[in-house]
Amino acid sequence: MDLLLQYCLNGLMLGMMYALVAVGFTLFFGVLDVIVFSHGDTVMIGSFAGLATYWWLHSTYPGLPAGWAVLLVLLAAAATVALLGIIVADAMIVPLRKGPALNTLLATMMLGTVLRESIRLFFPDGSNPQTFPALLPGWSWRGGNLILRFDNLVLFCGGALIIFLVHMIINRTRLGMAIRAVAQDEEAARIMGVNFRFVVLATFALGSAVAAFAGVMNGMYYSEINFSVGLLLGAIGFSAAVIGGLGNIYGAILGGFIFAFLQTIGAVAIPFASAYKDVFAFGAVILIMAWRPTGLIAEPSSQRV
Amino acid sequence: MTDPGGKFRFKPLFIDGIHVAYGKAGVLSDVSMEILPGRITCLLGANGAGKSTLIRAVLGLTPPRQGSIAFDGMDITGAPTHAIVGKGIACIPEGRRIFPKMSAQENLLMGAFQERSKELIRARLEKVYGLFPRLAERRAQLAGTMSGGEQAMVSIGRGLMSAPKLLIIDEPSLGLSPALVNENFRIIRRICEEGTAVFLVEQNVRQTLAIAHYGYVLSQGRVVAGGLPAELKENEQVRKAYFG
Ligand SMILES: Nc1ncnc2c1ncn2[C@@H]1O[C@H](COP(=O)(O)OP(=O)(O)OP(=O)(O)O)[C@@H](O)[C@H]1O
Ligand SMILES: [Mg+2]
Repeated sequence: MDLLLQYCLNGLMLGMMYALVAVGFTLFFGVLDVIVFSHGDTVMIGSFAGLATYWWLHSTYPGLPAGWAVLLVLLAAAATVALLGIIVADAMIVPLRKGPALNTLLATMMLGTVLRESIRLFFPDGSNPQTFPALLPGWSWRGGNLILRFDNLVLFCGGALIIFLVHMIINRTRLGMAIRAVAQDEEAARIMGVNFRFVVLATFALGSAVAAFAGVMNGMYYSEINFSVGLLLGAIGFSAAVIGGLGNIYGAILGGFIFAFLQTIGAVAIPFASAYKDVFAFGAVILIMAWRPTGLIAEPSSQRV
Repeated sequence: MTDPGGKFRFKPLFIDGIHVAYGKAGVLSDVSMEILPGRITCLLGANGAGKSTLIRAVLGLTPPRQGSIAFDGMDITGAPTHAIVGKGIACIPEGRRIFPKMSAQENLLMGAFQERSKELIRARLEKVYGLFPRLAERRAQLAGTMSGGEQAMVSIGRGLMSAPKLLIIDEPSLGLSPALVNENFRIIRRICEEGTAVFLVEQNVRQTLAIAHYGYVLSQGRVVAGGLPAELKENEQVRKAYFG
């Protein structure tokens, strides 16, 4: 029983991480109708930017309180990755829209490789896994065999806060209204006076910054990162966005938790070979897609943002 | 044009010898027009003549290959659409183009996207609701679930929300009942009387010429006639195309 509960807790944690990645996929698809395959590697860049920031903080301000360290690491990672997202959107994805959609797909796949190789080659000892510091105190709460880690709790609440903020931005701000308008009818949005380029760049900054949080979360959860973590995270985030119905933010969040739930079931149901949990989860995703091709909560006309 | 009375708030829209093409397919060649303040200027022409393309060129959605467009004394050729809109041009586009997943009210608010003053936005909202009481009742309904006529009201109301100097209207009557079409023409005339210049593309030639102050006829991408409504009614091209 405790073990089951433990799996559920871990599953929630992973679900939050996947949801944060999936939100990016779905936002980008909403405004530009593109799949940005390099988004998983953006998450990875977020992890490494966070790690580098930590190293710098650690050597420059050794006595920095944990709360500040976490906050600064997150902010630096988010800023770096948001800037990366803006550059990629402006220099690559928007110009490529003049050509066939497949070109964008291919170009972002290649960009993902470039990002991975850059970290592998240019980050200090980048080809080996890096220890990610426990930025928060290692307190934990124990009940029987159940362990509830304090840092996980903080990360989960932080993730929930970020999702809430994204929800507020999309539904309650002028920028959010513009993002929704562009997603529903790009040209009509322009005619209403929306600065299309600005909205696209802001969306990429937002989606990427959210991914950076997932990247740091990933590092703190596993205490280790490597240059290829983005491959799996990207595939999972993309799957989650598709399960939820591409373009639908709440669908993407739901999809993230569903994927983590599937992994957990996989791990619990085949305990002798929990290494197969991803195979099980992706297999289930394929079944879900066959059953609901437009996503679990998509409307007939494929809802956007 | 100087305007001491203040009713005509801008210098005209000058379209000067523009050529517009989609890819290799040329649509407009050497089109020149003047749309003056305080007036309803109409544009007639058969399907595919290039009327909507001309509007796209003015809005910067399909910038002209040659020629220039100036509005209110400023060259707007090749400017981004949001900048052109910012100069005081609004458009009720062909096919309404409402935002289906937004409420009627949010659609209206999109029409005032560049307006920062909350008071002004609220006042205009009330005005549009005064014009279309039906929208006031249904302000929270998703626009995509509204009837065709209601969607037309949303689209027209949205075009008014920026209180533009020039309002471009592309076939607002398409698919509406005769009663609603009459209502539309009444509203367009009123918009003009309140000081907004109107550039109107319409298929109801008789009614259009009845409210317009000036008109142009476009045929296969060229201006083939321009004049007062009475002159256009006598025009051979217009008669052939519309009055049998
Ligand atoms: N996006 C586009 N790509 C290629 N050709 C286009 C495009 N839009 C319009 N055209 C072509 O340009 C020509 C003019 O089209 P336009 O929409 O301007 O006509 P219109 O006068 O508005 O007609 P209607 O009265 O039917 O609305 C047509 O031959 C049309 O097929
Ligand atoms: Mg047209």
